[in-house]
Amino acid sequence: MKIQESMPTTKVERSAKFVKTGFQIGGNYIKHYSKKIFNPDLSRDELNEDNASDIYNSLSELKGSALKIAQMLSMDKNILPRAYVDKFTQSQYNAPPLSGPLIVRTFSKSFGKSPEKIFDKFTIKSTHAASIGQVHEAELNGKKLAVKIQYPGVGDSISSDLKLVKPFAFRLLGMTEKELNIYIKEVEERLLEETDYELEVRRSIQFSEACKDLANVVFPSYYPELSSSRIITMDWLEGMHLKEFLQTNPSQALKNKIGQALWDFYNFQQHELRAVHADPHPGNFLITKDDQLGVIDFGCIKEMPTDFYHPFFSLTSTDLFEDKEATIDAFRQLEMILPNDNEAQIEFYYKAYKEMISLFAKPYVNSVFDFSKKDFFDELYAYGEKITKMPEFKQARGVKHFIYINRTNFGLYNILHELQATVRTDTFKPQLH
Amino acid sequence: MATAAQIKKGYIDFVLTHDEKPKSVYSFVKKLKLTEADFYAFYASFESIEKMIWFELTVETIDEIQKQELWQQYSSREKMLSFFYSYVELLKSHRSFVIYSLKSHGKRLSTPEVLSGAKPIFENFAEQLINEGLESGELAERKYFSKRYKDALWVQYAFILNFWITDDSAGFEKTDEAIEKGIQVTFDLFQRSPIDNLFEYGKFLAQNGKLKEKMGF
Repeated sequence: MKIQESMPTTKVERSAKFVKTGFQIGGNYIKHYSKKIFNPDLSRDELNEDNASDIYNSLSELKGSALKIAQMLSMDKNILPRAYVDKFTQSQYNAPPLSGPLIVRTFSKSFGKSPEKIFDKFTIKSTHAASIGQVHEAELNGKKLAVKIQYPGVGDSISSDLKLVKPFAFRLLGMTEKELNIYIKEVEERLLEETDYELEVRRSIQFSEACKDLANVVFPSYYPELSSSRIITMDWLEGMHLKEFLQTNPSQALKNKIGQALWDFYNFQQHELRAVHADPHPGNFLITKDDQLGVIDFGCIKEMPTDFYHPFFSLTSTDLFEDKEATIDAFRQLEMILPNDNEAQIEFYYKAYKEMISLFAKPYVNSVFDFSKKDFFDELYAYGEKITKMPEFKQARGVKHFIYINRTNFGLYNILHELQATVRTDTFKPQLH
Repeated sequence: MATAAQIKKGYIDFVLTHDEKPKSVYSFVKKLKLTEADFYAFYASFESIEKMIWFELTVETIDEIQKQELWQQYSSREKMLSFFYSYVELLKSHRSFVIYSLKSHGKRLSTPEVLSGAKPIFENFAEQLINEGLESGELAERKYFSKRYKDALWVQYAFILNFWITDDSAGFEKTDEAIEKGIQVTFDLFQRSPIDNLFEYGKFLAQNGKLKEKMGF
């Protein structure tokens, strides 16, 4: 990866960065169409590839919330063409680090002491970046700790970054500003929550407590007394990230075990807690030495209100689809069919969304599902590609809760696919009473 | 017994209460129940009190940061960052005075008189760091320019100070950003960059171009 020399700071500079990207994308289209004159068979893949790498390059220089948005978009493989996704997933790693003195400064502000006075050992060089912060290794009373420090000013730049990212979202998702605003606001709320480290510590403790009986899932302990609005201290979990884990050629049984732990972790939260860890990117998980799934980040939690949970999961896990009227009724509650739609539109969206949700619910149909099957994912992508090309889907539909719930579940499916795991999908079922 | 500290304290108290300096040394010492001789034994004027305060704050910061455990491990860049973070932290407990002192001197382009004591201390410190950096190769030696590096840092000093007195973000977080980014950029410029290479290449071409002419090609 290229070494980043400086980070654009002011809004003007950030805008300039985005404008540049805009031009480049324009340029890529010109390149594409001029090539096409000579070679009519040229596929759009190359164009998508070019666009994705330009967008990615400029987003990764922005750090903070723009990086987060890149991650976010990378989750929706169902919406974005594959080339975008591959580039975006790179944004989950690497961002330029904070200077040593600023780390010391952050500590003295929070605790009135420098880190080496708080911990027995503190490594001033960060071990890795965590999109809105960076992680350091520390030791106290013989215990190895992970200390996450937030970049200053992240909260402030989120709102302005979102404004800047909007035009790109329009282009990528093909929506109008008014339609997009509801969703942008939802994203903004979640992102701002993520900058609240005190909230994150409270939630981490609460969720790891609630999930403690799940088999093969482990959580680090959190230390509120060593945490502040900018710092989180937790146990250092030793383990491998998904990619490294897969390189060790784990047995199918082991992959299934980890996959099952993941499935249980998510579905327990969705159906028992009605609030879910909504950031299922591989960087948030570790596979420990004794083959457990370690969960290390509770920054993003999505709560599901009943008026969303009930209609949505009735669709996925009951035989509601048999009853067309009831199905349309559920679609209306979820704003997938709007009050002003005419007969033809109702029919169209009924069919389209039925297809989409049936796809989504496929893993739930039988009690066991094999996520290694390429067919299922090809079908998902193909469906995603198809709807991006349909003019009917230029208009935004669906309540705002879909953003994070889709991201969570498709994210989960993707990880399970990468794991090539077969899991029991009937362990924690939707509860519809 | 009158002490310098007592006079200093009395003076700060006065300017912060009245938002201006005392009318005369006479009226000022009377309130402190001192004689004018006591005053002049330590200070030549009110300005020299302010000058002294700035001087002391700067010296204190430099002493303080050098005691930090990490100091020896820091690069020149990090040492400079460390100075500014500690400086604004120290100034925080004197914020009212700092704002009074800088504002009462208005917007002039030259260095305010009250900083004339702190400036050589800072520049001396900056020069030390720059020399360390030049020696270790962290910074690029450039004819004429490397002598001016410390001036660029003084500009940063003035900028950060001005930024801080108008900063209204929680915990002065914006100032932290201003420091982090400003100093990083400044030190990036001090480092060897493509411009240096370009310059040297130009020099090479110019020299070797002439050589060709002389040889009659």
